[in-house]
Amino acid sequence: MAANIYIGEISENEAVQDNCFLMKIKVAPSFQNPLPGQFVMIRIAGLNDPFLSRPISIYSFSRNENYCVIELLYQVVGKGTRIMAGLIEDSQVEINGPLGNGFDTLSVKENIVMIAGGIGIAPLSMLTENLRRTHPLSNMMIYNGFQNASAVVGLDNMRRLCRNISVCTDDGTMGEKGFVTQIFQKDIKQYVPENTSIYACGPGAMLKSLAKILNKSKFSAQVSLEERMACGVGACMGCAVAIRDKDCTLAFKRVCADGPVFNLRDIIWE
Amino acid sequence: MAVKLGRLKLNNPVMTASGTFGYGEEYAGYVDLNRLGAVVVKGLSLKPRLGNPPPRIMETTGGMLNSIGLQNIGVEAFIEEKLPFLRKYDTAVIANIYGETYDEFKKVAKKLSLAKGVHALEVNISCPNVKKGGASFGTDPKIAARVTRTVKDETGLPVIVKLTPNVTDIAQIAESVEKAGADIISLINTLTGMSVDLNTRCPHLKNITGGLSGPAIKPVALRMVWQVIQRVSVPVIGIGGIMTAEDALEFLVLGAKAVEIGTANFVNPHATLDVIEGIKNYLADHKIKDINDIIGTFRN
Repeated sequence: MAANIYIGEISENEAVQDNCFLMKIKVAPSFQNPLPGQFVMIRIAGLNDPFLSRPISIYSFSRNENYCVIELLYQVVGKGTRIMAGLIEDSQVEINGPLGNGFDTLSVKENIVMIAGGIGIAPLSMLTENLRRTHPLSNMMIYNGFQNASAVVGLDNMRRLCRNISVCTDDGTMGEKGFVTQIFQKDIKQYVPENTSIYACGPGAMLKSLAKILNKSKFSAQVSLEERMACGVGACMGCAVAIRDKDCTLAFKRVCADGPVFNLRDIIWE
Repeated sequence: MAVKLGRLKLNNPVMTASGTFGYGEEYAGYVDLNRLGAVVVKGLSLKPRLGNPPPRIMETTGGMLNSIGLQNIGVEAFIEEKLPFLRKYDTAVIANIYGETYDEFKKVAKKLSLAKGVHALEVNISCPNVKKGGASFGTDPKIAARVTRTVKDETGLPVIVKLTPNVTDIAQIAESVEKAGADIISLINTLTGMSVDLNTRCPHLKNITGGLSGPAIKPVALRMVWQVIQRVSVPVIGIGGIMTAEDALEFLVLGAKAVEIGTANFVNPHATLDVIEGIKNYLADHKIKDINDIIGTFRN
């Protein structure tokens, strides 16, 4: 079974803070178990405005005999997500997924570091849940950054999953003051590249600054990118990201089908 | 449901539009390719093309803008890596081809003609997003004719010429490529458009302009197909904003022998199959036995 189109029924769609919502969607049990880092394209059936489906990473997934529940933790950023936020229980949505390549969870080292910026916490939560199960003996440290205290999202769940949590905000209204990459950089000496797996998701500026910090060192990191998408399945070539290819030449890779998880070192930022 | 476009026979009139269906395999998990009239693959050039820098797409009301810039793996990689997969299907495979020069069109056409499993060539003289070639071949009747002749001289396959709507008189271009030997004419490619980001006051697309597609352009496409059909005698394929069977039937009633479904695939990967089913239902409801009995039945 691969990705396919499902009619989903919303069982919950609650505001978790001013601008972020948690949507739970029931789909048929044939929905393939997603990997952490994979996403779905979500669309309100028959609606031509907004015209395109919205790519949202999977926050959590569970199943029973009768149905699967896909959980999406999403931020309202524009027309599409605003309409999503207005959907009530029992509304139907079209779900195409699971799509993309998840994080590599096979070659996990004994120290795991996660760096989450804002709503970027969503795919990392699912990854944390997964790695807790598959790598119970690894040490895990999670750095979470938010704009301010009222923008904090998904943190309770992260705390439930992991004891070692660092929280910071840009303005210092919660946790340490500073960008999450700065807080991580202060700790970097604690980690050894050879036995540390780093995973990150967040705004472009955060990942770019993480690249500046890590690309001087031997650390490698898997990062999940976001980009505007039309198809989500690799056909339209719309969600291009500049990547340093095997022979060091520039290539435009598709965030949907070649990603959304990339090796941070391969991303060309300028 | 079978239709004949001259020598090109299709199981049904529903094709995919180039650039919206990858090389077929991207949608093979969603759509049984055997059920399609034809798969038209992403535009192929002589050498692989990098495409334009991102951002490349922007949603618009009832559609989208794109400036992909014909990113593709090149004709040779297509023949080696993608064509074997498509050969397994009992569906016509149509290679959309693009060149920056007449010579490139010639070489791409030749390579595809020698490869087994390609049923027709669709000549792209209408891409608005590339600096060289593309629409510049499609806006001048003489140049359009010369590209058509160049490709015709290299291939025994049926040659479809895909027209740009970004011209004053599309029927004039159609007549010109027909005279030059085009076996089939397909239209329309995207309409050039743009979109401004009010936060930055910059264009949403790095390329500044892009091609508008989606249901917003259907009325323009219908008008142009109608204009072309009145002036040429070769079969015409209707393209532009088709989302539903009703949309497709509008083109068929005007006289298009087939249609290509494009942007609809992005929002509904089953769009092609939904259109085929919808056409069958319409024919059954109206007690029409043969799809050909509805083609060209437009009254005015």
